[in-house]
Amino acid sequence: MKALGSIGKSIKRSEDKRFLTGQGKYVDDINLPNQVYAAFLRSPYAHAIINRIDTSGALGSPGVSLVVTGTDWLKENYGPLPCTSRINTFVGGEKMKVPPRHCLAIDRVRFVGEIVAMVVAETKPSALHAVELIEVDYEELEVVTDPEEALKPGAPQIWDDIPNNLCLDFELGDRIKTAAAFDSAHYIISRKIKNNRVAGVPIEPRGAIANYDDDTKRLTLFNSSQNIHENRDAYAIDVLKIEKEKLHHVAPDIGGGFGVKNGTYPEPPLILHAAKKLCRPVKWVADRSESFLSDTQGRGQVSTVSLALTKEGKFLGLRVETVGNLGAYCGTIGPFTPTAGTARTQGGPYGFASIYYYAKVVFTNTAIMAPYRGAGRPEAAFQLERIIEETARELDFDPIELRKKNLIQAKTLPLRTAMGLDIDSGNFVEVFDQALSLTDRTGFSARASAATRRGKLYGFAIAPYLECTGGGSKEFAGITVRDDNKIELSVGSHSTGTGHETSFAQLLSGYLGIGVDSIVFFQGDTDRTPFGGGHGGSRGMEVGGSAVYEAASTFIKKGRLLAAYILGVENSRLQFSNGVFFVSGTDKSVTSEDLIAQSAGSEVINGEFGYGYLNVSATFEREIMSIPNGCHACEVEVDPETGGINIVNYWAVDDFGTIVNGMLTDGQVMGAVAQGIGQALMEESVYADSGQLMTGSLIDYALPRAFDVPNIRIQYYEEAPTKKNPLGVKGAGEAGCVAAPHVVFNAIADALRNFNIESLDMPLTSEKIWRTIHRR
Amino acid sequence: MINFSFQKPTSITDAVTALSKSEDGLFLAGGQTLIPVLKQRLAMPCDIIDLGDINDLKGIVAKKHSVLIGATTTHSEVEASPVVREHIPALAELAGHIGDPHVRNLGTLGGSLANNDPSADYPAAVLGLGATIHTNQRSISSDEFFVGLFQTALDPGEMIVRVEFPIPEKSGYAKFPNPASRYAIVGVFVSSFSGSVRVSVTGAESCVFRQVSFEEALAEHFAIDALTDFAVPSDRFNSDLHASAEYRAQLVRVMACRAIIMIDEEKKQ
Ligand SMILES: Cc1cc2nc3c(=O)[nH]c(=O)nc-3n(C[C@H](O)[C@H](O)[C@H](O)COP(=O)(O)OP(=O)(O)OC[C@H]3O[C@@H](n4cnc5c(N)ncnc54)[C@H](O)[C@@H]3O)c2cc1C
Repeated sequence: MKALGSIGKSIKRSEDKRFLTGQGKYVDDINLPNQVYAAFLRSPYAHAIINRIDTSGALGSPGVSLVVTGTDWLKENYGPLPCTSRINTFVGGEKMKVPPRHCLAIDRVRFVGEIVAMVVAETKPSALHAVELIEVDYEELEVVTDPEEALKPGAPQIWDDIPNNLCLDFELGDRIKTAAAFDSAHYIISRKIKNNRVAGVPIEPRGAIANYDDDTKRLTLFNSSQNIHENRDAYAIDVLKIEKEKLHHVAPDIGGGFGVKNGTYPEPPLILHAAKKLCRPVKWVADRSESFLSDTQGRGQVSTVSLALTKEGKFLGLRVETVGNLGAYCGTIGPFTPTAGTARTQGGPYGFASIYYYAKVVFTNTAIMAPYRGAGRPEAAFQLERIIEETARELDFDPIELRKKNLIQAKTLPLRTAMGLDIDSGNFVEVFDQALSLTDRTGFSARASAATRRGKLYGFAIAPYLECTGGGSKEFAGITVRDDNKIELSVGSHSTGTGHETSFAQLLSGYLGIGVDSIVFFQGDTDRTPFGGGHGGSRGMEVGGSAVYEAASTFIKKGRLLAAYILGVENSRLQFSNGVFFVSGTDKSVTSEDLIAQSAGSEVINGEFGYGYLNVSATFEREIMSIPNGCHACEVEVDPETGGINIVNYWAVDDFGTIVNGMLTDGQVMGAVAQGIGQALMEESVYADSGQLMTGSLIDYALPRAFDVPNIRIQYYEEAPTKKNPLGVKGAGEAGCVAAPHVVFNAIADALRNFNIESLDMPLTSEKIWRTIHRR
Repeated sequence: MINFSFQKPTSITDAVTALSKSEDGLFLAGGQTLIPVLKQRLAMPCDIIDLGDINDLKGIVAKKHSVLIGATTTHSEVEASPVVREHIPALAELAGHIGDPHVRNLGTLGGSLANNDPSADYPAAVLGLGATIHTNQRSISSDEFFVGLFQTALDPGEMIVRVEFPIPEKSGYAKFPNPASRYAIVGVFVSSFSGSVRVSVTGAESCVFRQVSFEEALAEHFAIDALTDFAVPSDRFNSDLHASAEYRAQLVRVMACRAIIMIDEEKKQ
């Protein structure tokens, strides 16, 4: 099937008009008749025993209809929120330690923000007021927030039956072969490298409305979720213990997710319970403070990274040992990120004969950790590119040459990396050279001298990256012909503002040869899409787009039979091109649009080709993950008097395979690079030793603004589409996050080449830079 | 937020009377501080008296030696005002770098001063220019107005009506913004009036203050080299998530120099 028409064009987003004019429909825009409001009492302590909860004041408060505590919850016989990480066995074979994660704290709280009680009342203010009337007798326990500390003997025990707070350990790669490589190496460079813990901060906070239909005994949940099918199964089957068909899960417009809205949370089952109990709709929308306390957070790893190389600078082996923070419970797939998530792409686009990755995954008295845009690949890329930069610095290799000399050569593809990743396509040397030539190296010294004249330090860095897609491997796409001659396209995956409405319709329009405006897009409803793989792992176009491709293929296959019937010819004589079925050399032809109109209804054909004949359901299942890759570079200026940093230039060359819509892809690159810059320079979720969250609002948690993000020059390498999916796409959503932090860090390290940067960790705040320069 | 009764009087007298009659009332100006405080239930007043309809609190006028700015004038009005731009450009610049456009379109001069946040920008200009705060009862000099952390010389129920800024020969303001909030980690305002120099610092301590050692040095020699090698003692300075006391001390000197550089650049234009 040939891609036609609009595929590859930067057509504007059809959803933007709705979003930009305030017509988007988010959870908070939905109000159901007769609804009540839930509010949550959250723990003010990071670790404490709950001796007693007195809810009588809240129950007696005006407008209050329900108060639920952990004890009440257990009486209902509800189950805990499940952990579905497929990485779940210790290296020694023992099962991962998964503590029960109930929707309400049971007798003990383990992080600040954990839910202790739910109040439901007629209005939001009356619910909030009643929450303040609940009296809890807490007995404080010792707290540990740092994962390395949590592993030490004598550390506070968060779970009585989980020794050393260790949830799981994990290894990947060949330990013995790697040790041999290190033995034979001329040089070994080691560093301790930290990856800062960050908050996702989607612009729309989490929120949900639950409704119960007493006639059908069916629950409906409108929820700001980026993973409705898996979430539904967990809420229905695992927690509420009802059949999944009894829970209709709907996600309306979603204002950003970044992983935060992928896993399960306690609030949805709690309000589902309340809706059923009260037979009234129950609404809850988090405020920003609640989001900071209770959204899952990402990254948060400490690693020892060692690189072994020959005298000439050929990489021989890589060893990474990581301690990953999990928070107080196992999030839905929390243990995955610091284990396989970070292991798979170790070694990046470089030729390594041996790599060994080992991780410990640890509980702490902090909010739950989960995948955050990139989920391990940014951590891996950062570990690798920092150790390469440090190696170049310490051994006096040219950092550009050192990298180039070790890149995997295109002629050796396809290959399987030491971490077991299948690389089928790409040209890392060519992509590196393209990026390098964008950066105008010859003009560098003039730019650097100009900065020096202004009293500034100037630095440059370039680095390739290699990552992989992930998330659900299976996706649904359906086509339904409507009575108004339009066709409805529904896809199980869900846009979090990422433009599926445009790009999926663009694909279908291209394949069927019909106008984009005759396609109506549907997503985010478990009644309309039998399954879906959620939104994560840069899978939207890769798996979702491929499902659309499969649906279009089936449509055309069936369309051909219908066309043959209408034209009265053998279907083998029919050709299809540009939206037209025709018999070559004759005037016999019929368009896709004709077929749609025929089957829509006015002159319904009976029998085999009757009403609904052209409706199609299709599935795509990814077998092997795609390998997005690229090379980013940047130049920074450092103000030695204040330590302030200005990113002057940023260049990106990305190989995402086929580009379906360049403008949407640019948006993904820019947004992800901005998040990478944020992580490198300013973002950090900070817990005090007492377990209090210090960065609990946007007054203290710094996010990058337009001002902090430079003009990003983006180029795509489209010469190496993958064969792992019919579109040849490789996934674009997370790459910028993978590529940016180390490039920014290394450029700053270059600007600080005359100073000792050993103790520098992200975020590179101005004070840290100032201290480095002034040796304080 | 809890329920309260809301009034929007049109005269200063009515507003002051309304407040004096209330058991636990508060004036509301731009709401950029007060509304978040209400939402977090940190204050639960029974009456809110909105000052937005009182014409006598609005407007910007130039007199011979000063510029008068009404208490409910928004930051963006000050930023855009031709009068302010002509006579005290550093003040317009300062207003134009408060928070973000939303905050500047609503936040007011009077609200900012009454609140006296230790990291706010306006207190630096008011103290750095030696302005006078006119209230419904009296006139308070800037040296007496800022008393301590979130504390001013205002009596309960007293209303800021307008602020009188003397027109300096030259003035400049430089701030090192907090990357999260854009409030000042340190902000320094420098002004010069026929030989006498004022230097005020915001963000560094619990309340805006004058850096007298800088004032003396600059009165001798108004140039940045007068401040090189000046060690700023940091023992009273704030240390928090965003900056240590030691780093703030460095920023005080650097921002003072940048304020002077700003003046020099302005002169060249
Ligand atoms: C996101 C954000 C970023 C910000 N960034 C900055 C920044 O970078 N720099 C900075 O300086 N400020 C900043 N601010 C504060 C802002 O500048 C407001 O000016 C300030 O919050 C108070 O002004 P307001 O008019 O909103 O006062 P309100 O919030 O309405 O009132 C504040 C207090 O002053 C009292 N009050 C108001 N007017 C009077 C009056 N005329 N007489 C007596 N009492 C009065 C009120 O009763 C209340 O107690 C920021 C605010 C926000 C929300």
